Amino acid sequence: MGMQGDFFQLLKEQGYQLGAPVAASAGVEIPTATTILAFKYRDGVLVAGDRRATAGNMVMYDRTDKVLEIDRHSVMAIAGVPATAYEMVRILEHSFKYYRRTQLQELSFEGKLRAVSKLLKENVAAALSGTGAVAPIFAGYDVEQEAAKIYFYDILGAEFEGVEYAVSGSGSPTIRGILHYLNTWGEQPLNAMPEEQAVIHALRLLTSAAEFDSATGGVNREANLYPVIKLIAAGGVGAVPEATLKSLFETKVVRHV
Amino acid sequence: MYEEPYKWVEAVGNRRQYLDEQFKQGSPVVALAYDAGILLVSVSKGTPKLYEVYDRLALGGMGHPADLEKLRFNLLEMAHVEGFNRSPSDVTGGRMVKYGIAPVIKQAFEEVFKAPFIVKLLLAELGHKAGKDSFLVINYDGTFEEGSSCAVLAASKSVEQGMVAYVRREAPAVPSLEQAFSIALRTWALGDRLQRKAGEESSEGNPAAGTPEDTEAVSLFAHLRDRVAEKTVECALLDRHLSGSSKYRALASDEIGRLLPKDLKITLS
Repeated sequence: MGMQGDFFQLLKEQGYQLGAPVAASAGVEIPTATTILAFKYRDGVLVAGDRRATAGNMVMYDRTDKVLEIDRHSVMAIAGVPATAYEMVRILEHSFKYYRRTQLQELSFEGKLRAVSKLLKENVAAALSGTGAVAPIFAGYDVEQEAAKIYFYDILGAEFEGVEYAVSGSGSPTIRGILHYLNTWGEQPLNAMPEEQAVIHALRLLTSAAEFDSATGGVNREANLYPVIKLIAAGGVGAVPEATLKSLFETKVVRHV
Repeated sequence: MYEEPYKWVEAVGNRRQYLDEQFKQGSPVVALAYDAGILLVSVSKGTPKLYEVYDRLALGGMGHPADLEKLRFNLLEMAHVEGFNRSPSDVTGGRMVKYGIAPVIKQAFEEVFKAPFIVKLLLAELGHKAGKDSFLVINYDGTFEEGSSCAVLAASKSVEQGMVAYVRREAPAVPSLEQAFSIALRTWALGDRLQRKAGEESSEGNPAAGTPEDTEAVSLFAHLRDRVAEKTVECALLDRHLSGSSKYRALASDEIGRLLPKDLKITLS
């Protein structure tokens, strides 16, 4: 009996190939992205990302959504080459649905993690050739175990659990230190923070990343441009509305001097 | 022996007779639009009969479970590959049936040396707006019919016609979920009773005497009560208000219990 309910296998049987190893031509700038982060807060897990996509020194786009909902309880935040990352998200989204609909049960959280790893491994040649490197964060709520979970990956598909938080992308070194500081010496550990506090910190962290990393986009109030922040709890995935982000940014993030 | 046209026609005729016989004991399926989407109802004995096919597509089936599974997988493969390669909006019930499984079912039916699919299918598609829903019913020979507010599966065309006429007569223009559920259960009971009656008449060699069918709710619920013992009422929704892209939801037994009409609750819940 073959692997039942494996959508990626089905695609491959039809001749689909993810991440062909094409060497990047000299002088061609490939769009990349970013700063993404995830941390556990009181009710679940928060995942956030800035909106900028760059190609070398050029800002390609300032309204990218890098925090993508895969199903009702999981989200993938993407850093790296968006073309490959979006394709992976589409495969995952279809894979989880296909599994549920064929097998008449949800894919386990471990099964979902395995699917992410498999796609990254499939993409290794493209990642190493420089045209398709992706280092995502996969976060979600494990309904079976009633627990929020965060995992992050390197471009080869190695999987690491972010017990309290995870970061990825070019702006991540800046905020990794801040997250460690906050979690260790802050007023309360990250996983005890109520929702609003967690959102304020996510906005501050991404603003700090934008301060030191040109490939990370900050908040642009004139253009009404705020980061994407999603919260995943027992009830499922929800995006923090723009109006909330705007008001929290005005009152809690902008320095009033 | 089938190379002569007459014998082939005879073989197909025999096959039709054989297949009609197979569905006599089957459990009907009812699907109808309600104010927030589409409701599908059946009564099953263990194996499910209602399934999720794609974001806005649900399937109801009647017949042999193995054949139903095979065609369900065909549909799932087709829908997901199409949704991935093109877009989820391009996965429509019409395309899945007309260019997908209807030709497969027809071919199996006409290849008289091979086994046909012992299956009848109902595909319900949730429209983006109320009133835009669509229904497709595929017979064992690959012929299909389209409808817009309701559809049913039953052992024979005449039983199906009786059931559809009952839904049309009983359902208000836009029924609520409770109303739709009650109508669907009564329609199922009517279909099941008509099937049994047809079975008894044919075995006694006594064709229908033309007695009018009793369609009083009390009598239909009484029939349902008798027939549902040791079986499960199965119910699924394509719910327009569900968040996310997938609109299919199977109702849990406690939800079904809450929706049951008052005079049925005691025995079924």
